[in-house]
Amino acid sequence: CGFRLRGAEQTRLPFKTIYLGFADNSPLGVELRRYIRASGGTEIVADRKAAEAVLEPLDERREESVLSLNSQGRIRELSLFYRFSFRVLDGSGKQLLEPTNILIKRDMSFNEAAVLAKEGEKAMLYRDMQSDLVQQILRRLAALPST
Amino acid sequence: TAQTADKDEPINVSAERISGRPDREVHLDKNVEIVQGTTVIESDRATYNILNDEVDASGNIRMRRMGDRYTGDELRMRIDSGEGYVTNPTYHLQTNNGQGKAERIDFQSQDEAVVEDGTYSTCEMPDPDWYLKSSRLQLDKERDTGFATGTVVYFKGVPILGTPAMSFPLSDARKSGVLPPTIGATSTGGLEVTVPYYFNIAPNRDLTLYPKVISKRGLQLGAEMRYLGQTYSGETRVEYLPSDRETKTDRYAWSSLHTQTFAPAWTLAWNLNGASDDRYPDDFASTITASKQRLLTRDMSLTYGSSFWSATLRASNYQVLQDPIAPISRPYDRLPQLALHAERQDFNGWDLAADVEATRFWHPSNLVGDPTYAQPSLYYPRVGDRLVVNPRLSYPIIHPGYFITPKLSLHATSYSLENRAAGAPGSLSRAVPTASIDTGLIFERDASLFGNAVTQTLEPRLFYVYTPYRDQNNFPLFDTGLTDFSYAQLFSENRFVGHDRISDANQLTAAVVSRFLDQSGTELARVAVGQRYYFSDQNVALPGVLNSQTKSDLLLAAAGKVSRTISVEGNMQYSQSLSKMVRDNYGVRWQPGPMRVLNLQYRRDISNLASPLEQLDLSAQWPIAQRWYGVGRINYSLRNDQPANANVGNRIGKVAEALLGFEYKADCWILRLVAQRTPTSSNTATTGFFLQLELNGLSRIGSNPLEALRKNIPGYQMINQPNGGEFR
Repeated sequence: CGFRLRGAEQTRLPFKTIYLGFADNSPLGVELRRYIRASGGTEIVADRKAAEAVLEPLDERREESVLSLNSQGRIRELSLFYRFSFRVLDGSGKQLLEPTNILIKRDMSFNEAAVLAKEGEKAMLYRDMQSDLVQQILRRLAALPST
Repeated sequence: TAQTADKDEPINVSAERISGRPDREVHLDKNVEIVQGTTVIESDRATYNILNDEVDASGNIRMRRMGDRYTGDELRMRIDSGEGYVTNPTYHLQTNNGQGKAERIDFQSQDEAVVEDGTYSTCEMPDPDWYLKSSRLQLDKERDTGFATGTVVYFKGVPILGTPAMSFPLSDARKSGVLPPTIGATSTGGLEVTVPYYFNIAPNRDLTLYPKVISKRGLQLGAEMRYLGQTYSGETRVEYLPSDRETKTDRYAWSSLHTQTFAPAWTLAWNLNGASDDRYPDDFASTITASKQRLLTRDMSLTYGSSFWSATLRASNYQVLQDPIAPISRPYDRLPQLALHAERQDFNGWDLAADVEATRFWHPSNLVGDPTYAQPSLYYPRVGDRLVVNPRLSYPIIHPGYFITPKLSLHATSYSLENRAAGAPGSLSRAVPTASIDTGLIFERDASLFGNAVTQTLEPRLFYVYTPYRDQNNFPLFDTGLTDFSYAQLFSENRFVGHDRISDANQLTAAVVSRFLDQSGTELARVAVGQRYYFSDQNVALPGVLNSQTKSDLLLAAAGKVSRTISVEGNMQYSQSLSKMVRDNYGVRWQPGPMRVLNLQYRRDISNLASPLEQLDLSAQWPIAQRWYGVGRINYSLRNDQPANANVGNRIGKVAEALLGFEYKADCWILRLVAQRTPTSSNTATTGFFLQLELNGLSRIGSNPLEALRKNIPGYQMINQPNGGEFR
């Protein structure tokens, strides 16, 4: 049916060096770094000016909103949103990828009687969304024309 | 034509007849035009006094100055300083279409003018829909502010608001001033009138006051402060109503969020909330945005974080706003919790991580009506210390087409407990090892999706977990429960969240995801299916939950854009043993253009038979006629979703939430009408009606009714913002 195992040419990023503008202790940055290293052929550099590409995070936000109340006024479901927007520049500051938004959503049930467990469940869903986000960022990067 | 030298710009004067004394004054007659820099004065007659650099003009005055336009009968103006006056004028300001007429305008400088006995409006003259009538109106272009004294606001010729003083911005910038007032009526408060006032303290901090008259209760004072700095940000909101006329008590609620970083690695954060009494959410449903919450968090944390490890010291508890008909169990306080996390990735190919968490759980079990904690019990001791140590070691092998991650971990826990049921041990410990292997393949092909060339992926994934059984029946339940059955859950080693139960496992998860990506790598759609197979019984359980199965429910999910304007989403959890859907939802969003969105969603959750949920949720924003926009949401409960212990009768179908609003957008004002019904507790719901008139140019910031619209309708767009404001 035409499916082929994905090869290095599909995941390789079109630049030899990249600078990631995340804070050292950003969990998203840590996970992204690991996959960029695994994609092969792109080195993560610490000097912004020496990089062929600069990934600049513009906004990273976690939000939740009430999805539904029951007829007693109790919260029954929540929507969790992980918003990330970023752009990619080259070393001289020219924009390679215009500001791009990625929004990931997960719905979860909510129950006041188990609010501490639900707090743990939110953390689990945000980790899952973060992994999803890393894959989506990598696909956007890999689709850029080579410099 | 005559020409005179000036300090900065030359002055050009022209007219049909020019006479006068050279170097002293020039008399101009018929079609007079005086031009200096950006200032142009036209009139029938004028005298230009060269020594004083002063123009005296009369008859059909028309003046343009820095883009602003004036007319009048007589004008005197010193050209270099910009000082002067004009009588019987009209004026038009360039920046925000502000205009009006007056008895007289005194120009105090190039930037400042005082309008005497005049009007101000952003509507077109001569017959504006709304205007201010003011005895003295100061227009300060440098400060971008208008300040009116002795003012009455007229709308459609009718005086609607009188005020001794008010200020407003002369451009779109955020400026201190009165925000659009809201007039409403609610079933719990009677007539409600709010006139918010906005203080723009600095570009990065502001304060909004919300004085509100509630006819049945009294005067409520609300305030919201927001701030943002290089190393800190936060907002605090307070509502206070002294001596409520109905309850004879002071009523208040407050909420404060703050994050602060110091000395790069340290972060202090708090999220604190409180309210005066249990009935606060019932009686003030329309006010504080968090009114749906009956569990109010109080949480403070201090974190030290570096790239490889972090430590968090935290204290948290909750205030419960009790609903006596359906009591809420108060969660445990964590006073305090110390958590250490260390992580080292790619250490010669190995990933190393460890978590250590020490917590003192505490519960005030003397709460009246609390069903769970009223007696000392096996699962819910009043006080307990818990120490968790959880090291993990994995060796991820990641290639473009496949990945394999073998992983070993250990979960070691010890408890020291007080106030347990008779005979239950006071100290407990357990150590549970877990081995897992996570592996997947990634295939791709070129495909087409609704006529577009796309890349389709096919990603099968297997996840095997082995955890031996440890008897945990005597263990307490501080923060642990079963999660929703979701994809994130499928690929977790433990069926529970929280550290009090570690599930025994000999199980394999199989899942396949297929994504459709466009040329830019954007995910257009995805479909997924997954299930877990158990090779042995699950012996670790929560009390009262039976869960020995050979396979889990089947998860199916599909989401994506099926055309430029339509997106769909469906999630299903199918139980093969019951042969039915236990949790599913289906939604479609149609967004054919700006301000046009229609959402329809069906949601069902019958996984917990004690409180089943089945809802139909319809929401829309749509232009319904020229200048009229309609917004609405109805969330309809298709079955009685109240727990059995809530003795409220057996209502089959019921509106859970409803909102209907209309917006009328004229050129220089917007009218909003909003009706809303929100359930607040077992027997009560608040119905409210609000009316808001926003006069463009007097303020640019919305307030409460807008917030209700935005929260209720996914995809809602503000009608007075060119890009539609927030888009979700």
